[in-house]
Amino acid sequence: MNRLLDTGLERLTAMLLQMGKVAEEAVRISIESFMTGVDVYERVEQLSDTLVRMNVDVEDKAFELIAKYQPVASDLRIIKSYIKISNDLERYGRYAWDISFIHKRLANFEKCEDPLAIIEEMGEKVISMVQVSIEALKTHNSELARKLIETENEVDALYFRHLDHSTEMPMSSRCLITNTLVVRYLERIADHATYIGESIIYIATGEKVVLR
Amino acid sequence: MPVKIETKDLTVSFGDVDAIKNVSMEIFTNRVTAIIGPSGCGKSTLIKSFNRMNDLVSNVKITGQVLLDGENIYGTNYDVVTLRKKVGMIFQKPNPFPKSIYDNVAYGPRIHGIHKKEILDKIVEENLKKAALWHEVSDRLNSSAMDLSGGQQQRLCIARALAVEPEVILMDEPCSALDPIATAKIEGLIRTLSRDYTIVVVTHNMQQAARVSDYTAFLYLGKLIEYGLTKDVFENPQNDLTEKYLTGKFG
Repeated sequence: MNRLLDTGLERLTAMLLQMGKVAEEAVRISIESFMTGVDVYERVEQLSDTLVRMNVDVEDKAFELIAKYQPVASDLRIIKSYIKISNDLERYGRYAWDISFIHKRLANFEKCEDPLAIIEEMGEKVISMVQVSIEALKTHNSELARKLIETENEVDALYFRHLDHSTEMPMSSRCLITNTLVVRYLERIADHATYIGESIIYIATGEKVVLR
Repeated sequence: MPVKIETKDLTVSFGDVDAIKNVSMEIFTNRVTAIIGPSGCGKSTLIKSFNRMNDLVSNVKITGQVLLDGENIYGTNYDVVTLRKKVGMIFQKPNPFPKSIYDNVAYGPRIHGIHKKEILDKIVEENLKKAALWHEVSDRLNSSAMDLSGGQQQRLCIARALAVEPEVILMDEPCSALDPIATAKIEGLIRTLSRDYTIVVVTHNMQQAARVSDYTAFLYLGKLIEYGLTKDVFENPQNDLTEKYLTGKFG
């Protein structure tokens, strides 16, 4: 028998997975375009704005379900976590927007050296983390969620390496600031992927873990 | 955590049917414990075994132990009158005596030999206050208890139970006949009383169990399936049956 709550939960899940699609696109194209020097600012802004709106919708829907059905146990864990995950997905969009904004505002590839190799490496890892986090969300797969921690550690190591060596780099301030900001945004996206992983483990097992 | 009541391998059968099967649990002092579970799971039988109410059923068989402050209440020398004084009970349907409000509360103390008016006056006032009813009835203590609303009658029954100075209060579906406002008053009262009394509440209403209790026990087909802190049971039940019952995914 379908419970009344189930229809609401299905709707909430669909909203979140739609957010996942939008967020994945925003992150992917902002990073890829930064590497190739293409301006995608307008498209990413559109996607980011969509995520901001959808985040509000998810929260509203979640509150409606809490008010109407007083969920407990796994239902409650799912709803609580979806509110958090929705916020993480919205942050994906916001950092993607930041990357495309910095690219538009500061980067000048005619005068700068190529984007740092470190950004390319971090970018690939971050895109894969975003994809894994969304895939784990689809099936509440806690094993997949746990795998995020390995990549997160690699991203952090690259971030620290960049900080340690940034002052020795032979490049203009403009280029250094651009690269450093983007490295920082990538590191933040990776953090949010890890938060999503933690939420998925909580949904699946009830265990409150800190993967960071 | 001090233990007020402990059951050891408690089995209660009516004829060939085991209503409670090998239940071992501890009820903690000055805490509210909720017993939840589907109809017929043995909730009421369990709570009634804490003050030997099941003894009144003709074909009952009870094995195992129920210890109150470490003493087996089913032991041959245990005095049932003392037990009933220590362990009060509130039922689903408010059941005041067809007497005045005053006489309902004074009934127990009188039975226990208190007859001085000043002392009884004090007991009546104190316990009506503890039951959060005093301000609603202080000007009409001699009118019939039957004229009170359902929620007031239930609080009067609580005052009547408190008047014999129990240590444990058992409540069997205390709000199921009450509207939401009367229910909220009883629930608030349960929390306040838990400072001084050990309270066990049987309820069909899971949200009520979540609101009022510190510990929750889930019974299914006479067995204790899960027992723990209410916040843990309702957030992350360890047993799949508990999960299914709480989320309404049963059958």
